[in-house]
Amino acid sequence: MFIRRLPKFEYHAPASLPEALDLLALYGADAKLLAGGTDLLLAMKKRTKTPAHVINLKSIPGLSGISGDAKGLKIGALTTMADIMRSALVKETYTPLWDAVSVMGSPQVRTLATLGGNLVSAVPSADTAPPLIVLSAQAHLTGPSGERTCPVEALFSAPSTCSLAPTDILTHITIPFPQGKGAYLKLMRRAALDLALVGVAAYFCLDANKVCTHAKIALGAVAPTPIRATASEAIIEGKVLNAALAAEAGSASGKECFPITDLRSSLEYRCSMVEVLTERALLEALKRSN
Amino acid sequence: MQKEEYQVVGKPVERTDGRVKATGKARYAGDLIAPGMLYGKILRSPVAHAKILNIDTSEAKKLPGVIAVITGKDFPGIPFGTRPDTRDQTPMPITKVHHFGEGVAAVAALDEDTAEEALDLIRVEYEELPVVLTAEDALRPDAPLVNEFCSSNIAYTSDFRFGDPEAGFKEADYIREEKFSSQRVAVGFIEPHACLAEVDATGRVLLQGSKQSPYPTWRHMCRALDLPLSKMRLVTPFVGGAFSGKHDPFDVDFAAVKLAQITNRPVKIVLNYDEVLAGYRQRNAMNAVLKMGVKKNGRITALKAECILEGGPIAGIGPFNIYFFGAWLNLPYKVPAVEYHGKLVYSNRAPCGTVRGQEIVLAQYSVDSLLGIVAEDLGIDQVEIRALNAITSNYTTANGVVVDACGLSECIEKSAATIAWKESRKSRPKGRGIGFSCASHPSGVRLGGHFGSSVLLKLQEDGKVMLTHGGTEIGQGANTVFCQMAAEILGIPFEDVIQGPSDSDTAILDSGMFSDRCTYWDGNATIAAANDLKRQLAELAAKKLQAKPEDLEFKNSRVYAKDKPEKSISILDPVRTAYYDNGTPLYGKGYWAATDIDLVNWKTGSGNLAHGIDFIATAVEMDVDLKTGQASLRKGVSGDDAGQPIHPVMLEGQVNGGSAHMTGHALLEECLYDERGRMLNYSWRDYKQPTALDTPEYVVDHIHTHDPYGPFGAKGAGEASSCSTIAAIANGIYDAVGVRITDLPITPEKIIREMKKKEGK
Repeated sequence: MFIRRLPKFEYHAPASLPEALDLLALYGADAKLLAGGTDLLLAMKKRTKTPAHVINLKSIPGLSGISGDAKGLKIGALTTMADIMRSALVKETYTPLWDAVSVMGSPQVRTLATLGGNLVSAVPSADTAPPLIVLSAQAHLTGPSGERTCPVEALFSAPSTCSLAPTDILTHITIPFPQGKGAYLKLMRRAALDLALVGVAAYFCLDANKVCTHAKIALGAVAPTPIRATASEAIIEGKVLNAALAAEAGSASGKECFPITDLRSSLEYRCSMVEVLTERALLEALKRSN
Repeated sequence: MQKEEYQVVGKPVERTDGRVKATGKARYAGDLIAPGMLYGKILRSPVAHAKILNIDTSEAKKLPGVIAVITGKDFPGIPFGTRPDTRDQTPMPITKVHHFGEGVAAVAALDEDTAEEALDLIRVEYEELPVVLTAEDALRPDAPLVNEFCSSNIAYTSDFRFGDPEAGFKEADYIREEKFSSQRVAVGFIEPHACLAEVDATGRVLLQGSKQSPYPTWRHMCRALDLPLSKMRLVTPFVGGAFSGKHDPFDVDFAAVKLAQITNRPVKIVLNYDEVLAGYRQRNAMNAVLKMGVKKNGRITALKAECILEGGPIAGIGPFNIYFFGAWLNLPYKVPAVEYHGKLVYSNRAPCGTVRGQEIVLAQYSVDSLLGIVAEDLGIDQVEIRALNAITSNYTTANGVVVDACGLSECIEKSAATIAWKESRKSRPKGRGIGFSCASHPSGVRLGGHFGSSVLLKLQEDGKVMLTHGGTEIGQGANTVFCQMAAEILGIPFEDVIQGPSDSDTAILDSGMFSDRCTYWDGNATIAAANDLKRQLAELAAKKLQAKPEDLEFKNSRVYAKDKPEKSISILDPVRTAYYDNGTPLYGKGYWAATDIDLVNWKTGSGNLAHGIDFIATAVEMDVDLKTGQASLRKGVSGDDAGQPIHPVMLEGQVNGGSAHMTGHALLEECLYDERGRMLNYSWRDYKQPTALDTPEYVVDHIHTHDPYGPFGAKGAGEASSCSTIAAIANGIYDAVGVRITDLPITPEKIIREMKKKEGK
């Protein structure tokens, strides 16, 4: 009912990825991976998660950092939100992700919270998910059978449930170098320190005739998982984007979401705000394209 | 009166507690440690209303490391309450629980983990009862009774009639009636409830707690613990804000003392903030209907109001709340006739106290919103209607409150000019609006004959003055302003006055920190104490200066013979004479009580309840997003009449703080409950207080008046802006988008819904 002190657990600080994988294989569902801890420790204090074993990934070298080249960007799973926010490269080129990180939590939380943690916690309102989805990001996973990749879009299966196997570790994210521009807009009840009521990321490329291609729109906090608004994408794909078309796309995306009514907002308000934010995100991306 | 030149008063000196707080060195209750100290934890009810059939603590007591476990039955069973006729609570519940999160048992153990583990081993058998959640629920004929000490769900009533309301409405050219409602909000201080209790070998209790008003805590605790007053000492460490949420004793305080008595060891209890949000003081929910009659020009002829406050399972300070709502129909506008019917009802939500500004906040929100509506209906300018009705100096309100000095007209004029109201009427962007509201607040009401303030100054042999007073520094700056006042009178630097401890063994506790009373009441007591000390020094100095004591002046740490500035001695001279020649100590004693004002009749509302009515006019400029309904506040401007500012920077902080605080009440905050009375959003994630980014740029224009009774002409200052802000925001939203939301908080969803309704969608 109320927050308590941390429950008892066994703490592990593996020095390497194979060591961490061994621990995961040994303890399975009894273990949780610790990154920034901003979600996990709170859940443990509330007793909604009571792992017998906590495996701290921060003791493993090489899981954090941002590096980019002409092909794209690599961000370690343990890279903090504050590090991402400080990256000129992310701000300049992978702007929707920067938009999301800059409105997350507080400076204190951003200093602890990690990109990997935000994704695997898999809350419907995870701010980094919609921008990574529209930027076609890939999640790189390591498990007992080796490394594999999976689109960020496929990481989420239900509220607070990630599609990773319990024996997998998310090591890093890669994002292909974007040819277009995008934006992430977040609606909050207050101006900071708040979860998204609605989060919308939009991205597209413009060809020589200003026609939209590779359009992607992703919505957060308005379905059990972050989702694509494909009908809305189809409206702008192959067309010249203007205010009327953005409004039309917004209106479509309002019909694609399926939010719930909860403490923070009603279903109806969320749907109509998806419309507004989609329209505004598209126009912001257009502004950034020109 | 001629404006005096002050040396210390009116200057932005460094706060006495600024450095220690800013460097993190201040010790709050949660920081205290005593040898052999145990840690206490409280088991809380998961249900809102239930009979307690049995509490089995045997397993918990067996857990190694647990030293004691208590329940409500361990207390003497003596009820206590704010008034003799509202003694309706016990330290911890005995027969039933009244709200979600109510403490039902407490544990003292060697460490916190063991104490928490022990809570899991306590078995409580509840028989759930139907819950009373709203005023409507409470007043149903078949409503379950909430409070076992009361045979009705009506905790208190007030019914006023002043002037001739019928004649007033008959005389009116226009009458408008409107419903207003306000939600449950949390208090919003930073530091959660915490205390350390110890018992000495003689059985004397020492409680060091985060308390706003040690006096009611002391009185209520001694009563309910069946202790003589002399058997309990309260020392107040630094307090991390209170805003009316820490007046009375809570289960935290009682449990710590009882566990300390049983174990004979110090016991500390520190709450987590989610416990505070779920189970402790909130502001009453309000349902009010107001009817206002005006002449064609907008002059108010009569006001009628019915107000029901839903205040949780105890009356607490609710009787004052229900009185205050009615009293503040009479202010800050000239209302010749007032009719009022107020009820305070019990419910199974968290117990209410109040929040900054008390329920004057709700009255001023309702009155000023209605005045705004009336002006709109009649096509009268919002500034003009307020200026027309504003109270002026030397005015007696319909309920008998005497207003001495009033700068409200200047406050209105100034705020309108600073926010550029006239210019905004010519043109403004779509969605931009400006809202006005005026408010007033007393400088300390006299709620009982025992209300008084006293200050003791000890002039040490090194010439420094130690000041102790019966008030409490809760962040408002009380300690600083008293040191300023003492320094001013004694003609010594501010730094030469040292703030002593807040300790019931050395100070005579005053009635408490509420209704803007501390600066005013304790300030006057400080002046009296400083003058007492000065008189003693003057007698000693007079001999040396060969002058009469009454002809001496104290300035720049020297004593001068009047008109002979070449004849002077250091203030240390008479001090040394006292200590080193005569062997006599130097104490200055001062006390003050407004005994020339009335003990108000809470039921009928009659009486002049306070001196030093302060006034404010607030204007808020905002942009409302036409598609999301989100209001972004751009600028908040207040013309503020707090008499003579003692510390202009702290005063500005108070005005802006009150405004920022109530921005949350107006737009964001709401305690939400499910149908079984369980609070849903008791975390800072889900309970939305405003951040700095949600508040506008603030401008305060000090309107200097001179209150004839206030210290140096000052009035109270901490709460007026909290009373003017909500209506200013509500009126501004109307100005911006043309929709009137009368049920707080004004959420974007409500704005969008009303805008769509208006467009016929």
